[in-house]
Amino acid sequence: MTVIKIVLILAVVLLALFVLRRHGTNRGGAYVKIGMAGFVVFAIYAVLRPDDVTWIAARLGVGRGTDLILYLLVVGFAFFAISTYLRFKELEFRLSKLARALALAEAAERERGEPDHPAPPG
Amino acid sequence: MRADSGLPAESDVWLIMPVHNEGPVVADVVTAALAAFPNIVCVDDGSSDGSAKLIAGTGAHLVRHPVNLGQGAAIQTGVEYARAQAGAQFFVTFDADGQHQVADAQRMVARLRLEEVDIVVGSRFHGDVSHIPWLKRQALQAAVKLSPRGRRLGLTDVHNGLRAFNARVAHELDITVNGMGHAGEIVAMIDRCGWRVAEEPIDIRYTEYSLGKGQSLLNGVNIAFDSAVRRHR
Repeated sequence: MTVIKIVLILAVVLLALFVLRRHGTNRGGAYVKIGMAGFVVFAIYAVLRPDDVTWIAARLGVGRGTDLILYLLVVGFAFFAISTYLRFKELEFRLSKLARALALAEAAERERGEPDHPAPPG
Repeated sequence: MRADSGLPAESDVWLIMPVHNEGPVVADVVTAALAAFPNIVCVDDGSSDGSAKLIAGTGAHLVRHPVNLGQGAAIQTGVEYARAQAGAQFFVTFDADGQHQVADAQRMVARLRLEEVDIVVGSRFHGDVSHIPWLKRQALQAAVKLSPRGRRLGLTDVHNGLRAFNARVAHELDITVNGMGHAGEIVAMIDRCGWRVAEEPIDIRYTEYSLGKGQSLLNGVNIAFDSAVRRHR
């Protein structure tokens, strides 16, 4: 077994452990875990038997196994980018609600304290 | 035209002014507007240039976002503040950089009082448009052409920041696009909620300051993208 194979397998296993330990326990988290487990199995298999990946690629009409991996990577990355974007949007939406509530509460507080709109701190 | 006789003129009107780093002009803009509209709420959107202090010296109400959120979020905050005030009947969104005219806002509120409309949107494309920088004009008119809703509603200036609306609109308004894309979202809400809309010709004063502060045309790309991925409800 070449060194690169050991490095790749180790990296995949560590990544999987990291994700599985960190993720929540809800339904979405469970799917992520199943997907991650499948990914780990496939990754280790692909590292150990690259010829088999090439065989699958040939069946699918793709030239080499590396090309198949590249295409899967592109699709996977696009999925990741979109889901991250949506997540950030959702987060931004919640942040605005929080900041707005805070701002309105602070303004009400300030006006109760002094009716003549005193200079804000800072 | 207006009820100028009584002293508390326009006391049922709230001017909503989103402010982000407008230090050089905000105090003058607010003071000038206060002469016509006694109720002004400035939403300081996390300014770092002391805009909040300057506003506090004017007599306008001040709400401060703890962090910068964007103009759409600031308008929503201002509307939520204003609609909770006793006696608030009419609301005007007004830019803090001095590009809008108080007289235009007064005319729009007068229309709300007299006509059966829920929201009056300013448009800079009635009459002479030669004062609008050429490239800006092209971009804004392209935005109108690309907005099927705007066309259907008969709007000629979708991205105009000067709007006047009544309590119904204020209570239903729910802007979720924080950035500049909120203009398109408001048009979508006019359509979805069935608000009766009218357009009023207004002047935009393109000073060097407002042009420097205003949206760059490149930001149009952001606006288009925001509109495309806006949460659809």
